[in-house]
Amino acid sequence: MSENPYLSYEARILEVKDLTPREKLFTLRFTDPEVGERFDFKPGQFVIVDVRGFGEFPISLCSPPTRKGYFQLCIRKAGRMTKFVHRMEEGDTVGIRGPYGNGFPMEKMEGSNLVLVAGGLGMAPLRSVLWYAIDSGKYEHIWLLYGTKAYEDILFRDEIVHLLRHGEAMNCSVKLAYEVESPSCIYLEEGFSQKVCRGVVTDLFRGEEFDVNKAYALICGPPVMYKFVVRELLNRKLSPGRIYMTLERRMRCGIGKCGHCIVGTSTSIKYVCRDGPVFTYWDALSTRGLI
Amino acid sequence: MRYIKLPSENFGEFFNSLRAWGKVYGPVKKGKVCSFQEVHGVEEVALDYKRTTLPPKKFFVRPRDAVLKLKNGRWENGVESEPFVLFGLHSCDIHGLKILDKVYLSEPADPYYKARRENATVIGISCIPDEYCFCKSLGTDFAMDGFDLFLHELPDGWLVRVGSVRGHEIAWENEGLFEEVTEGDLANFRAFEEKRAKSFGRKLNKEGLADMLDLAYNSPVWKKYADICLACGNCTMVCPTCRCYEVCDRWLNAYEGVRERRYDSCFMESHGLVAGGHNFRPTRLDRFRHRYYCKSYFDPSAGFNCVGCGRCDEFCPAKIEHVKVLDEVRGSLQ
Ligand SMILES: Cc1cc2nc3c(=O)[nH]c(=O)nc-3n(C[C@H](O)[C@H](O)[C@H](O)COP(=O)(O)OP(=O)(O)OC[C@H]3O[C@@H](n4cnc5c(N)ncnc54)[C@H](O)[C@@H]3O)c2cc1C
Ligand code: SF4
Ligand code: SF4
Ligand code: FES
Repeated sequence: MSENPYLSYEARILEVKDLTPREKLFTLRFTDPEVGERFDFKPGQFVIVDVRGFGEFPISLCSPPTRKGYFQLCIRKAGRMTKFVHRMEEGDTVGIRGPYGNGFPMEKMEGSNLVLVAGGLGMAPLRSVLWYAIDSGKYEHIWLLYGTKAYEDILFRDEIVHLLRHGEAMNCSVKLAYEVESPSCIYLEEGFSQKVCRGVVTDLFRGEEFDVNKAYALICGPPVMYKFVVRELLNRKLSPGRIYMTLERRMRCGIGKCGHCIVGTSTSIKYVCRDGPVFTYWDALSTRGLI
Repeated sequence: MRYIKLPSENFGEFFNSLRAWGKVYGPVKKGKVCSFQEVHGVEEVALDYKRTTLPPKKFFVRPRDAVLKLKNGRWENGVESEPFVLFGLHSCDIHGLKILDKVYLSEPADPYYKARRENATVIGISCIPDEYCFCKSLGTDFAMDGFDLFLHELPDGWLVRVGSVRGHEIAWENEGLFEEVTEGDLANFRAFEEKRAKSFGRKLNKEGLADMLDLAYNSPVWKKYADICLACGNCTMVCPTCRCYEVCDRWLNAYEGVRERRYDSCFMESHGLVAGGHNFRPTRLDRFRHRYYCKSYFDPSAGFNCVGCGRCDEFCPAKIEHVKVLDEVRGSLQ
């Protein structure tokens, strides 16, 4: 019998970590080592998590493919199934199928500057890019511009603070914008006055000069964010072909069958699960409704 | 293509012989409605039917389909399918299946669809259009492939086109029932096709349609019709090329469950809804327009996603007419 692409492989939860009150980080490994061996992915790809008997949902891979033997998912408690998963503990198992989607063209961007622009949960897929880029050492410089609501919402806070402190040694500049003031944020701002400010993610572009012929922008965040960030990048004359963004849509199958993630019009139809979730701004210009 | 002739007097016997290839389904009339049902003799089949409510997609993408079975915490591969014969498909429905093939058989293939498709013997039949048909405008009024046998009505029998190896085998098994095609049969075939071509009442202007529609994204015509539309989703259920499905896990008892797929419609508010309550197609206007764009998407290698079967018009309670909407949207550009 041919392989059924809808069947998931069992993966064990090695560790569960609270990132914020709403998001947890799950570290997983396939129970069958052979499956684990075969499982390779690109930053920006996603998997479908299968909670047998409850349903499936798509989640971005948030660890870099350079770290072998495990993979990580950052899951926000958003509804029925994610709530269920949030109650799971170390040793529990879920089904995983994938990886799906196109991912970011990491090889093509080698030798360039990467400008990662993350808003909220958009940090999850970009964390995979961030650590892949740092681990591989194949990129000239990496900027991470991260916009968050409040101090409690900062995903991977330890890593962010670590990079605020030591990032330059790894060719990585991190900047953080927060919206809600709190003592912790003010403390951060005092400690890293050039890098942390109150405002939205586009405020972080101020004072940064990117060589537009050597840079790629990679964006992920809530739907409203794209327009503003893209405008900022276009103002700096970054080509629409060098602006990559990863999009969210309702997904069921993940492989271009169920029709939920279709966007576009009569001249261009795209499946976000299969043709994306990573698109260039040029794709957005030629496919209506993408952003 | 290989052509043979099935004389009228052999038709019944030929039909009965099909059972050797699996359960036979054909168009059956009940009152005014027609649907594909299991049939046991040719007298049950409505040979001159216009269209069934659900297209033959229901045999491949079922309205409700328990795809995976959960036993003792593990999924069992639920792919199972038996050979069956679909008798009496019209050309447009065969084209509809070909469009579904593009989606469901592309890598990675959907194993349920694939197994059913491989198990299906497809026998086409010629038809005369009614007031809803516009397949001729889309070039789907004649099937060049996608069937095993295609029967064309002649005054004294059927001109049979053999479209596949399996079709050839069926003809082979029934060798005694067929005759060679004569010049006269070909003349009759041609006459039928000419008569048929002339009887189309509805016509879609597809010249530059994809671009025109894209340019008319903000046309007030979309809104005019979205206001009339009841968002019932009938048009998507009956469309031979619509195939969105929703997935849901269901427990049968404390130990067993199923993962079920069922038809979904882009007219439903939940179709584009994601976590956090954000909806990518929040208004009925967005959803109405989306269906027209999806149907009129032009794939250079496969054509449009509509085969002109007329079902959406016949079964729309709001009497919205597909071609009229497209024409008006195009007209609103000038
Ligand atoms: C490519 C992709 C990558 C994603 N990556 C992440 C990630 O890294 N971390 C994370 O926390 N979330 C991610 N999401 C969102 C995540 O899939 C949803 O939060 C999750 O499906 C909600 O499921 P639920 O059962 O908890 O919610 P439900 O109880 O099913 O519903 C709650 C809400 O979620 C919506 N929803 C249902 N299915 C989906 C779906 N497939 N996609 C989006 N919304 C849906 C429902 O319409 C409803 O509004 C990603 C989504 C996509 C498409
Ligand atoms: S859109 Fe209407 S006419 Fe076209 S294939 Fe679907 S049901 Fe038939
Ligand atoms: S069948 Fe008619 S009323 Fe119902 S959703 Fe379709 S267009 Fe609207
Ligand atoms: S998620 Fe099913 S088609 Fe994209």
